[in-house]
Amino acid sequence: MADTPIPLEVRNIKKRFGNTEVLKGLSLEARKGDVITLIGASGSGKSTFLRCMNLLEQPNEGELIVHGEQIRFKETKHGREPADWNQVVQMRAKLSMVFQSFNLWAHMTLLENVIEAPVHVLKKPRKEAIQHARALLERVGLAERADYYPAQLSGGQQQRGAIARALAMDPEVMLFDEPTSALDPELVGDVLKVMRDLAEEGRTMIVVTHEMAFARDVSSQVIYLHQGQVEEAGPPDEVLGNPRSERLKQFLAPKR
Amino acid sequence: MESVLASLEAMLADNSIFTLDTLSYYGEGLTTTVQLVFLSLIVGLVAAVPLSIGRGSKRRWIKMPIFFYTYVFRGTPLLVQLYLIYYGVVFVEGIQDTWLWVLLEKPFFPALVAFSLNTAAYTTEIFHGAIKATPRGEIEAARAYGMRYSLMMRRIVLPSAFRRALPAYGNEVIFMLHASAIASVVTIMDLTGAARFVYARFYAPFDAFLFVAAIYLCLTFAILYLFRYLEKRLLAHLKPASG
Amino acid sequence: MIDLHGYGPRLLEGALVTIELAVLSLILAIVLGLITASAKMSRNWVAHRLGTLYTTIIRGVPDLVLMMLLFFGGQIGINMVTDWLYDRFDIDIFINVNEFVAGVLTIGLIFGAYMGETFRGAFLAVDSGQIEAGRAYGMSHALVFRRIRFPQMMRHALPGLSNNWMVLLKTTALVSVIGLSDMVRVAAEASKATREPFLFMIIVAIIYLLIASVSEWFFAKLQKRYDVGFGGHD
Repeated sequence: MADTPIPLEVRNIKKRFGNTEVLKGLSLEARKGDVITLIGASGSGKSTFLRCMNLLEQPNEGELIVHGEQIRFKETKHGREPADWNQVVQMRAKLSMVFQSFNLWAHMTLLENVIEAPVHVLKKPRKEAIQHARALLERVGLAERADYYPAQLSGGQQQRGAIARALAMDPEVMLFDEPTSALDPELVGDVLKVMRDLAEEGRTMIVVTHEMAFARDVSSQVIYLHQGQVEEAGPPDEVLGNPRSERLKQFLAPKR
Repeated sequence: MESVLASLEAMLADNSIFTLDTLSYYGEGLTTTVQLVFLSLIVGLVAAVPLSIGRGSKRRWIKMPIFFYTYVFRGTPLLVQLYLIYYGVVFVEGIQDTWLWVLLEKPFFPALVAFSLNTAAYTTEIFHGAIKATPRGEIEAARAYGMRYSLMMRRIVLPSAFRRALPAYGNEVIFMLHASAIASVVTIMDLTGAARFVYARFYAPFDAFLFVAAIYLCLTFAILYLFRYLEKRLLAHLKPASG
Repeated sequence: MIDLHGYGPRLLEGALVTIELAVLSLILAIVLGLITASAKMSRNWVAHRLGTLYTTIIRGVPDLVLMMLLFFGGQIGINMVTDWLYDRFDIDIFINVNEFVAGVLTIGLIFGAYMGETFRGAFLAVDSGQIEAGRAYGMSHALVFRRIRFPQMMRHALPGLSNNWMVLLKTTALVSVIGLSDMVRVAAEASKATREPFLFMIIVAIIYLLIASVSEWFFAKLQKRYDVGFGGHD
């Protein structure tokens, strides 16, 4: 047993939209330094699963334990809801998310985007936040773009900026929701490189992606989802190198 | 100063209508119009912020009364609203004996109330539309980074919504300037009131109304340019960088 | 109808005046709007300038000022013309500017400018490929306009048209100021005479809201008709 609590544990998550069950009891354990990639066809539920982890979607069943702290739920007439939103807010501050469409705040410069949550959610002193933010922007190669607005940046630059914004929270776990899917092919490389660096320095990451090379090279565990269930899971060599199920074989086969 | 007045007098010497005397009516009218429009816009703006947030609330008992208010005030003529408040106030029993009468006696105050209520209703809907247009992703990002509703409203939703609302709000300001002309109907000596006075005195409709039309046109352009400048400054972030 | 201190029937008449005034002004505004839109889209720079001047001035000056200018100035202008006719040609006619006509002319003129903008935007929104296809099949300019551009333009113009109509309807209240007995004027007189402004003004407000609601329903139906084949409007 490790002395420090596990950053994120998810147990038996179920999610229904109307009558269709899109997540049929999914579990996952992210230990410190793990890089877990979630792969699967569209509609497999991988993004919904990720969004359940920071409660952007409310799971109908299941448990969520962040840094050893169990999230409490209560039943209401609208279904299950978190019992204590303060707890959720604190939990979200520990898990920072990088979105497919970047979702930088359009009315703020890049630097303002990066310091926004540290200053107003974590209550960090502004000066300190700015210093940290500049260092992070330097890291993702955007030091000179600090005072640009998101609309003035390319997609790749926006996504690297969004990663800097996520890092500024000093998160326990970083959640990536298809971070390269909305990018032009020539811009994907820069973003993936930043993510590889993060994995190497021991960040705990959960990544929903279609980039098989990234999954193979970087992850400690690959989970293949099909129709809301885990079809195969394990180290990348096993899952990607030697797929057992017919479906995964087909999924991994070169397209066209 | 005196030489300016002297040359002005010389310029005006040939006509019998635009004497310094009538020009001073227009001058006072301009002041009244600007005061009336400016004050009602301020009141309307301040009221519209909480109202527009409430308008988008999930709770029916907050949302419905605000919707009803904006529906009624946007669906009926401002003149009817002005009459309702102007006559309504005057005919309240015993109001002449209260301290309020000092304010209400002058038509300026009922007009200010009517105009403020009217512009608040329009502005509420403008802001409501702008808030609704906040990109979903930006709201999700705010939630994902641990922001509570109030913080998210204050830092993310409202600042971007106000900027988005700027062009529509500019139109509302011009609309209010033009709508304020009906203040003259309840005997306020605003710009239009001054024109009506000059018309009645000299029976010169073209001179009286064309002159005031020109002043309104200038004011309209001034507002237009002000908002264009503000848009350039505050909406710069939405334009992709050139090159 | 309820008696309303004897003002009931007059209020009803006033409401009819309001509706007549609004509908006639709307028709005039649509005609002027189509002309303005064509002028502003024309390659003839005089027509283009004139169209722009018209819309700029109308949109820069309060409705009430324009109305007074036309109503009070109109009579003097016409008198000048008839005097001249009498002096020169011994033609003796007398034309009295009536409040209703002045109202329709002013409101039509004002909203012609707004309609012009609406129609211009709508014409520009029609896919040029549609027009080319018409030409390619040997349709004349006029036929392309009547059969293709106009019906497709209407679909884009309807939201703006409906919006202009709602504003126009409220603008009719201004004619009460120049002496026309629309429902606002009747209500104002009744308020003063009976000292019950709330009763009369609220009734008038409800009638306005009623007309607006009926129009909204009507325009929604119309939009549905013009949206046929487009799978909902954008």
